[in-house]
Amino acid sequence: MDRANILKQVNDIFLEVLDDEDLVLSDEMTASEVEDWDSLNHIQLVVAIERQFRIRFSSKEIQSWANVGELVNCIQSKQRDIVDKEFDYLI
Amino acid sequence: MLFNSIPFLAFFILFFFFYWFVFNKTAQGQNILILAGSYVFYVFTDWRFLAILIAASLFNYLAGIGMVRSHRHRKWLLWLGMIQGIGSLIIFKYFNFFIGSFNEILTRLHLAFNFQLLSVIVPVGISFFTFRTMSYLLDIDKGKIKASTNWVSFFGYVAFFPSLLSGPIDRARTFIPQLEKHRKFNYEVASDGMRQILWGVFKKVVVADNCAIIANGIFSNYLELPGSSLLIGAFFYTIQMYADFSGYSDMAIGIGKLLGFNITPNFDNPFFAQNIAEFWRKWHISLTSWLTEYVFTPLSISFRNMGKGGLCLAIIINFTLVGIWHGASWTYIAFGFLHGCYFIPLILKESMNKKKKIDSNKQNPSLTQLLNVIKTFALVMLTFVVFRSEKLSEAWRYYKILFSESLISMPVIADKVIVMKAVLFLLLMFITEWLQRGQQHGLALVSIKYPVLRSGIYLTVVFLIIWLGAGSASQFIYFRF
Repeated sequence: MDRANILKQVNDIFLEVLDDEDLVLSDEMTASEVEDWDSLNHIQLVVAIERQFRIRFSSKEIQSWANVGELVNCIQSKQRDIVDKEFDYLI
Repeated sequence: MLFNSIPFLAFFILFFFFYWFVFNKTAQGQNILILAGSYVFYVFTDWRFLAILIAASLFNYLAGIGMVRSHRHRKWLLWLGMIQGIGSLIIFKYFNFFIGSFNEILTRLHLAFNFQLLSVIVPVGISFFTFRTMSYLLDIDKGKIKASTNWVSFFGYVAFFPSLLSGPIDRARTFIPQLEKHRKFNYEVASDGMRQILWGVFKKVVVADNCAIIANGIFSNYLELPGSSLLIGAFFYTIQMYADFSGYSDMAIGIGKLLGFNITPNFDNPFFAQNIAEFWRKWHISLTSWLTEYVFTPLSISFRNMGKGGLCLAIIINFTLVGIWHGASWTYIAFGFLHGCYFIPLILKESMNKKKKIDSNKQNPSLTQLLNVIKTFALVMLTFVVFRSEKLSEAWRYYKILFSESLISMPVIADKVIVMKAVLFLLLMFITEWLQRGQQHGLALVSIKYPVLRSGIYLTVVFLIIWLGAGSASQFIYFRF
């Protein structure tokens, strides 16, 4: 899945969880810049993202994201891992 | 030492001149004075515990260096540091509570054996400086900060006298870099610091100490009074708590500014919050954010597959810890636990953030928003009854009388004049803080263009402090935590 697509899906999840119709995410955005993105909503966002992309983050990964861009990178690399594993399985 | 006392004033004036005129050539020089001054300050407050403060600083300093030098030892050094921190809190603050509670259980089970209580006294400021050292090691572990190799800076961070006794709890990652930079005197910042100190003194001496007189009178006599009086008592105690603690925090931050430091804020108009989640983002911010980062976030991540139940559990644990942090008493635990429970309806309805904040927009709040503010205030006010009580049974009796039919009877007020005064002062405080809601503190009069008018306001505040300040300078509530 390409990066822009991932960002769009993450944006949709944010719109839904934070109930904010005007939110447009960018890579550099941090939690402090998004009005309703706090520790309580953060975990709802993580769960929604894990469900949507069918991935599972480690605790360390979740606490390591400094901004939206790093979150998206993490999703992308997890998806690549899944594809690689599937490929290995096929061989 | 109380900030609004002659000994502190004398100490600080001397310190200020030495800091900016004698020791000002290098950051190291400034920091040596800060360390020495902080220890003098601590000794004046209670000399018995200086050794503990120094030992804790030394231990964590060495642990930090060890963690960075050897990757193999990193995790167990972190654990050792956590054990040192939590351990010292347990021994000094909670040992007698655990043993006492355990003894009670034994007695209830009719077992004669009782464990000996230690005669331990709580070192002043231990809850605050321990959280500073723990955050330091945790941040090193997460790679958020490098270990300090300058013991003067690190010890100065731990013991920094403006925040030593009652916070705010600055994280090492934001404060140690400030210590490592050479501070140059900035007149604008220093004057703003003076104004913030003035505002803090006003809140403490004019608002909090006068509310205390009313609250103390009612709480010490609550069995003889009707529910309506008890409501008044709870109300004034809540205002007292806010004015006292936020006043102290303003003084600490203002003193920090006079020395060229940017201390983290502790309050952001908590009584303008529309729900309990917003309240805790505005009350004792440095403690809440500490626990959120190091306790709530890891817990909520671990519990994330338990749905809303998991989130509720994480919140309840987090806030029970907020309660326990205050001290070894079932009343503090109940206080924290209640606040955790207050979050449950919010979490279940998923409405933690949906309300537009009333102090961020320019328009006046709507009626619904005002009602939310009153509701939140009422919820918080009720928890301060148990917070203040010595025993759960007292709090229970207080609530029973409060919620009885005597709630709608005429309140019995010993001294009507002081109640009227206190209402006037608290209105003055809240109106000022409302008008100044975009600023760091009540006296940052950025929007007033005329210097004469601004000066007039400052002088008026000074006058009010001298004229209306309650006679007895009472100790800050948060000094005992």
